[in-house]
Amino acid sequence: MVNATKGVFISCDIPMAQYIINMNASLPASDKFIIHILDNTHMFVQPHVEQMIRSRIAKFREDNTYVKPN
Amino acid sequence: MPEVRIIAKNFMDMVASMPAMKLDKLYENGFICEAILRSVPPLAKKYVIQMLHIDVPVAAKLLEEWVLPAGVSKHRVAIDRLVQLRVFLEAVDRKNEKTYKVNPTFQRSLQKLLVQGGTLPRESMPSNITVRLPTLENLEAYALEQWECFLLQLISPSQVEKPLNISSSLMKVFQRRILSHRDKEAPKLTESGFQFLLMDTNAQLWYIIREYISNSEDRGVDAADLISFMLELSFHVIGEAYSVDTLTSFQRTIINDLADLGLVKIQQGRKGSWFIPTKLATNLSMSLADSSSRKQGFVVVETNFRVYAYSTSKLHCEILRLFSRVEYQLPNLIVGAITKESLYSAYENGITAEQIVTFLQQNAHPRVAERVPSVPENVTEQIRLWEADLNRVEMTDTYYYDEFPSRDVFEGACDCAREWNGLLWEDSKKMHMVVKTEVHPYVRDYLRRQK
Repeated sequence: MVNATKGVFISCDIPMAQYIINMNASLPASDKFIIHILDNTHMFVQPHVEQMIRSRIAKFREDNTYVKPN
Repeated sequence: MPEVRIIAKNFMDMVASMPAMKLDKLYENGFICEAILRSVPPLAKKYVIQMLHIDVPVAAKLLEEWVLPAGVSKHRVAIDRLVQLRVFLEAVDRKNEKTYKVNPTFQRSLQKLLVQGGTLPRESMPSNITVRLPTLENLEAYALEQWECFLLQLISPSQVEKPLNISSSLMKVFQRRILSHRDKEAPKLTESGFQFLLMDTNAQLWYIIREYISNSEDRGVDAADLISFMLELSFHVIGEAYSVDTLTSFQRTIINDLADLGLVKIQQGRKGSWFIPTKLATNLSMSLADSSSRKQGFVVVETNFRVYAYSTSKLHCEILRLFSRVEYQLPNLIVGAITKESLYSAYENGITAEQIVTFLQQNAHPRVAERVPSVPENVTEQIRLWEADLNRVEMTDTYYYDEFPSRDVFEGACDCAREWNGLLWEDSKKMHMVVKTEVHPYVRDYLRRQK
């Protein structure tokens, strides 16, 4: 019987993939979201975590920027 | 029937999309016929003039003999245009051959105009009443200033010192594709809105007028009357005064709206008021391709990402603020910097890196426009890289397939997903694959048929 699982397919560069894997590892077991790590640049994750990953990446980006005050 | 489907790109395309009865009514006015004649391709002009006094249908084949073989495509375009505008009426004669006949109403009106000459429905007022009319230079400056004030109110209402009289409902009509409204947030410029700002003045004017006319039926105004009046207006002389008191109340409303846009200037005298057409008004009957004039550039971008805009315009400042950090706003100079953060703010609004680069290149100050490149390459590349950085992670809704019973079923499923352009990833050893959510139903149906 063929099995089909719904989820989100992530395609990105290697450093970003490592960042996402590390994000997954730092969460408690009930919150882990990676279903399959397909290769260096692709992974398959839970359907509901797309927005969470995007906001975490955006926050990571913002932490490394500085805006000069007016 | 015309082979080209009508998409309204300019005024005349709106005319062409009107129903036949309204068009015939429109053509009772000789000046409108002249405006139509001005707007068509050169070959079409020749055909109209040539057939202006021919009352009987002319065979399509005969028309084709008037052009050299190399001109067949231009001939086709010209004929299609005339048929779209109902200047030529298409018919089939007794031999079952296609013929063209000049629209009788159009023919009569244009004949009368050319033979007898025409006077406008209203003449300019005598100069002893309208003392102190503005000069042509002042009038042009007024028109551009008014238009810019309108644009500023369109994209950034809070920046306007003295708001225009255009009703807020009409302003919303203009804004509906330019600004995006989210709950409890200030309106933000969309990708289309930024594209609108990149257009030259004439193209922007076409867009606004088109929205104005398209929305007219909602306001209980006949679009034909509106187009008729505007085309009439384009034949008035720039800088001459015409009495407002002779206008109907409907026309007076239009004149007030057009004054806000900068197409006319209204002046009040002791014995009444009058309006003065500007260059923008007379541009209405020109086709878009004819307007080759372009604004002079004002932006200098340096390799250190500093931006200097030599402009007195508040609108230019607001445009630059969309994607750069404006640090000083002096009377005739705007100083800013292109930063990663300001660009991210632009990208979040849907403005693209390519649009920003195009804007900077097209508005390069004359001193730097001659350089190659006019915008330093490190700046343009960095703008694109920062946009790419936002898109480093691609996420797609998908289904993950595994536990295939045999190699053949797996290969077949992969082929099926490939045919629907939905196969994103596969591992042929383990017989696993990932397909797009949209393609999942097709693969599922395929697998069911394999049982």
